[in-house]
Amino acid sequence: MENPELLERAGKKVVLLGNEAIARGAIEAGVGLSACYPGTPSSEIGLALADLSKETKDFYFEWSTNEKVAAEVSAASSFSGVKTITAMKHFGFNVASDSLLPFVYTGVKGGMVIVVADDPLGHSSAQSEQDSRFYARMGSFPVIEPADAQEAKDFTIKAFEISKKHQIPVILRTTTMVSHGTGTVKLGTIRKPVTKGFFKKDPDKYFSIRPHLQELHERVIKKMEVIEKEYASLNRMEGSGKIGIITSGVSYNYVKEADPKHVRIAKLNITHPISKQFIARFLKGLEKVIVVEELEPVIENFVKQIAFEVGAKVEVHGKDLLPRVGEYTPEMVAAALKKAGIAGVDAPNFSKHEILLQNIRIPKRTAVFCPGCPHGFTYESVKKVMGPDTVWSGDIGCYTIGLLPPYNMLDYIISMGASAGMAHGIKKVSKQKVVVFMGDSTFFHAGMAGLVNIVYNKTNPLIVIMDNGITAMTGHQPHPGSGFNATWDKTRPIWIENVIKGIGIKHVAVVNPLDKKAMVAKVREFERITRTKKEPAVIISRSMCVLHKKHLKRKGLLPNK
Amino acid sequence: MKFNTIVTGVGGEGALLTSVIMARAANFEGYEIRGTQLHGLAQRGGSIPTHIRFGHVYSPITGRGEADLILALEPLEAARYSYFASRSRTNFIIDNFPVMPAYARSIGQKYPSMDNLMAMIRPFAKQVIVADASNQTAKKLGNPVFGNVMCLGIAISKGMLPLKKVSVLQSIKDSVPRGLKENIRAFRMGLEYKD
Repeated sequence: MENPELLERAGKKVVLLGNEAIARGAIEAGVGLSACYPGTPSSEIGLALADLSKETKDFYFEWSTNEKVAAEVSAASSFSGVKTITAMKHFGFNVASDSLLPFVYTGVKGGMVIVVADDPLGHSSAQSEQDSRFYARMGSFPVIEPADAQEAKDFTIKAFEISKKHQIPVILRTTTMVSHGTGTVKLGTIRKPVTKGFFKKDPDKYFSIRPHLQELHERVIKKMEVIEKEYASLNRMEGSGKIGIITSGVSYNYVKEADPKHVRIAKLNITHPISKQFIARFLKGLEKVIVVEELEPVIENFVKQIAFEVGAKVEVHGKDLLPRVGEYTPEMVAAALKKAGIAGVDAPNFSKHEILLQNIRIPKRTAVFCPGCPHGFTYESVKKVMGPDTVWSGDIGCYTIGLLPPYNMLDYIISMGASAGMAHGIKKVSKQKVVVFMGDSTFFHAGMAGLVNIVYNKTNPLIVIMDNGITAMTGHQPHPGSGFNATWDKTRPIWIENVIKGIGIKHVAVVNPLDKKAMVAKVREFERITRTKKEPAVIISRSMCVLHKKHLKRKGLLPNK
Repeated sequence: MKFNTIVTGVGGEGALLTSVIMARAANFEGYEIRGTQLHGLAQRGGSIPTHIRFGHVYSPITGRGEADLILALEPLEAARYSYFASRSRTNFIIDNFPVMPAYARSIGQKYPSMDNLMAMIRPFAKQVIVADASNQTAKKLGNPVFGNVMCLGIAISKGMLPLKKVSVLQSIKDSVPRGLKENIRAFRMGLEYKD
């Protein structure tokens, strides 16, 4: 096991990553099945569950093709009476949302927890600073937000409890500082799971055509009213004073670190539905309230609404003191609290510090490929033949690093698999040369649909599939083409070239990027074909990720060719 | 009591392992621990500050200027995270094992001299120890990778890390994936380190 402490006895105190704590929480709740797709900052949840599944053989774990499939696998198992958990990053929730929202209407049976890990600031995400709390409002999901590793464990168990009792999927929402935060965790008792179930036909539950759709919708609304009242007590109130602070998630810890005096603090642990009664009770007697939450003023606007409804004469602050953009730091929160007039907060003047920092002039460290990575070789060979004026329609994975100098081989990053559709869109209106760069995991995740579209709706880009045999960026997880399952048992790989040929692309070649001569020759040949025959062509640039090779060697799993 | 450390280095130097060893040792002594351990694209950037805080702590990250110890396994990284340091409070232990950033080298930038770097860091530091840790472990143990644990030993012996020797030793035994003998020797080399 990567971290044997995940199986330590109840009562022991260990230091865990937030994500590891969630995995431990899942097995303490008796999870019977988990299906995930990797995505920073959530990947270690699946990694830990894969490890636990392999070690204990008590429950099933899989890396599914993408987050939507993972959600479907988890929900249907839950329909059959088994407790399930699926974990994803915020953009992964976008992918899965197509199925996740209907699951609120159908409800679940065995209990289902959906972990969504937001990444404000974008430590490891590019497309946007998404605030996934809005999904809760859009879809009527209960949302629990842990602030640290202990809560990550405990609240996972609570989320299962709410889900099973009320037959509704529950979201456990984290951010990078919680998922990738470490903390002391007191362990609880691991529960032996139920892994066998039965799907009972139930039109009343599953058939969501109108007018029954409206009936199901009414039921969801009622369910949430019940949950709002029943779980308001999960929220905490502490301290006393005329000024109040309302907060949740990691921001609570920044508030506590600032050590404010004479304040009443509300720590919201269930952030949807937010209990109106709890907020109204909190606001009583307060002159001023500061809402400390990262990204959008979701809680702030709700507090203003309640203040208006109950006629509370209270100033509500939030985004007038703290930004909507980026992540918070302890000093940022301290400065805001001090500005709001809160006593005892130490928020020093950093102007001298700032001046001294300007003297620190050192070479930057930019994201780079690991030494020996095949992606660098692929990019060099393609650029050599195609020239820098080509539109580089890139995608998401380690090869996204090609965005940066010295490569400059990526013109946009949008979402998993977008490279194909976008190249097609440009080719339909422009005479420019376009190359699609797509990874192996991306291909299975979402890329196939875009490639089918290129064939079906007829454009002719050059397509380069960067096949390094593993889902690398997120920590080397197996995928359908890798030849391994989640617990590192050998399995028959799905060969990308077979799928490509099956789609009907005639010009397909597998080339080793480390053989620069061969790659340059193939790029030249295929570029000519796309131009003269007006047909798409695919080069599968195949060479094993160097770190993956090292891991396989260490595990004794390297295939002897 | 609260103690804030930042461990930083470049990929492959064992910064993460060092932070795990520290956190486990603090846990043995019954402290509450908070910290961070970034993964994914954040790691590909080559250097990330790993926070480890223990005592009466809440936030996973250290506040600006509030680090008590910055353990840098690479000199540039010590300068890079001076944001978290301040003269009244922060001790630096720096492993003198320079790794030039790849892209910067390709565009002709130069690695600053040690004197230059020290001039940048000094205004932020209470005390700075520049140790030849990785080079010494390379010589005596056959691999520079043990420099991280040697730096831990230096931190303990100089009183810059309020943890007991036995706690760190036990933590090393529980944490290192291989090379236990060498890691223990490296730790002792650090304990016996003379400037």
